[in-house]
Amino acid sequence: MTASPAPLIAFGRLRAGRRLSADTFWLDVETPAAESFRAPGCFLKLRGWPEPGPLLDRPFSLHRVQAGGLQLLIRRVGPATRLLCGLAPGRPLKITGPLGRPLTEIIPDPADFYLVAGGVGLAPMALVLDWLRESGRRSRLFYGERSGRHQVDPAWLAAWADDFTATVDDGSGYGRPGLVTEPLAEALAREPRPILACGPPPLLAAVTGLAERFGVAPWVWLEAGMACGLGVCLSCSLPLKEGGRFKVCREGPVADGRTLDWEAA
Amino acid sequence: MKEPDLTARLGPLTLKNPVLTASGTFGYGLELKDFCPPAALGAVIVKGLSLSPWPGNPGPRMFEVPGGLMNSIGLENMGVEAFVTRALPPLLAAGATVGVNILGRSPEEYGRLAARLAGTEAHFLEVNVSCPNVAKGGAAFGGDPRAVDEISRAVREMGGGKPFLVKLTPLVSDIAAVAAAAEGAGAAAVSLINTLPGLAVDLARRRPRLGGGLGGLSGPAVKPLALRQVWLCAQALKIPVVGLGGIMTAEDALEFILAGAEAVEVGTATLIDPRAPLTILEGLKDWLRREGLPNLGQIRGALRI
Repeated sequence: MTASPAPLIAFGRLRAGRRLSADTFWLDVETPAAESFRAPGCFLKLRGWPEPGPLLDRPFSLHRVQAGGLQLLIRRVGPATRLLCGLAPGRPLKITGPLGRPLTEIIPDPADFYLVAGGVGLAPMALVLDWLRESGRRSRLFYGERSGRHQVDPAWLAAWADDFTATVDDGSGYGRPGLVTEPLAEALAREPRPILACGPPPLLAAVTGLAERFGVAPWVWLEAGMACGLGVCLSCSLPLKEGGRFKVCREGPVADGRTLDWEAA
Repeated sequence: MKEPDLTARLGPLTLKNPVLTASGTFGYGLELKDFCPPAALGAVIVKGLSLSPWPGNPGPRMFEVPGGLMNSIGLENMGVEAFVTRALPPLLAAGATVGVNILGRSPEEYGRLAARLAGTEAHFLEVNVSCPNVAKGGAAFGGDPRAVDEISRAVREMGGGKPFLVKLTPLVSDIAAVAAAAEGAGAAAVSLINTLPGLAVDLARRRPRLGGGLGGLSGPAVKPLALRQVWLCAQALKIPVVGLGGIMTAEDALEFILAGAEAVEVGTATLIDPRAPLTILEGLKDWLRREGLPNLGQIRGALRI
């Protein structure tokens, strides 16, 4: 079992950025602290816009850790992500992390997995794929988007995901039209495997339902608005079925979807 | 040059410095110790505690607005018993000066909380009569000098002589009258301001942004209002005033001290950077050195309006 690395506050510098869809950006942040983020499952808080800007740092999962840098996949959805996605290379950034529990602690014995990414839930899947590959496990990635304008450059995706199925809800982009849960259900019917999914709560709830139907484990990678990321503000917690709450920042970001109360969330 | 003297006095308590943590932003005192050792601060005021654990409000529990944060956590807490047996001993062992924030639904509940804490080594209580995020009690008490008087008396009578602060809501027409009620009932100090009751609206979904509906506003946006209330209380009271509301930097803290605060609490800033209380404390020392002042007494309450 890998112990969670202690979080730290470090400085980084934006080394490169690339636009991968109408609203999805890849950022490469050079930092001396890069290696402490290598465990899949962790996330960070980031700020680096001109001050005074948005008050809170913003949480992001790690896409890759490479060449002394942290690579992030960010969707431009609000004022802070708009600022981050528009920064020029060289810009200093403040990094807090690694936050959360590594996947190796939550899932000590990885199996062959179906990975499900909804939208920018694609971000953490590269590190997960590496981890499964290194553990000698097979995996297949299902990547769903609402429309083609959100879909990342397929060549970029193919460069790190060798076995993926893309879907697009409205049929306007590449891959299969419809919901990502459709090819997932077909795959589960052919060969049941545990699932690790990252995306919006309705997708995670649907994946949990499918997993229960096929008798496999649904691991859900949660996204939540948060302030501290360190377990004190209690703003990111989600209700558990058996009572009590799950702190996404400290106990997550990955949870067994069956333990969460999706109706109350 | 000699180290500046930063001690702060809250009634019978002498704190090593005037930087405290605001309740609800520093957990039960040890969660952020690797970034900010609790023993370095004037005091750690822990998350508000009720007689039994409270589950808090449904999500979303936080929403950012320009210059501030809206929250509706709903006072989720482990309950006083778990705190006393599990969280308090290691916090005291870490060398912290501990302030315990308490909250109840009636004066009787406040009295029982004070009684439970009376026999512990906690250094003082902070009586929350001002949280906007609970339906019963909370800010409903804090707006009424008679309720503040009644709760303060209950805490004094049951608290075994433990000093207590009364934490006030800013949303009252006469803050000095409410603060005077706390003073008259034996509070060692008052602390203000709690978050400012507010509402954030999600237009597209035609509903509030926060799961609890209404919320409390904190952060830089509330600082001018907090400064005014602190100044008014400092003018009116003989007991010390602990100032809070949007303190992000040492300069912010110094503005409160200039307005009459004996000490300050750092809240929202800690949620952004867990080192904030320590950074602010270091900033106070640096400022005194730069100004060539031996202590904060030289500027405390020196603001003339």
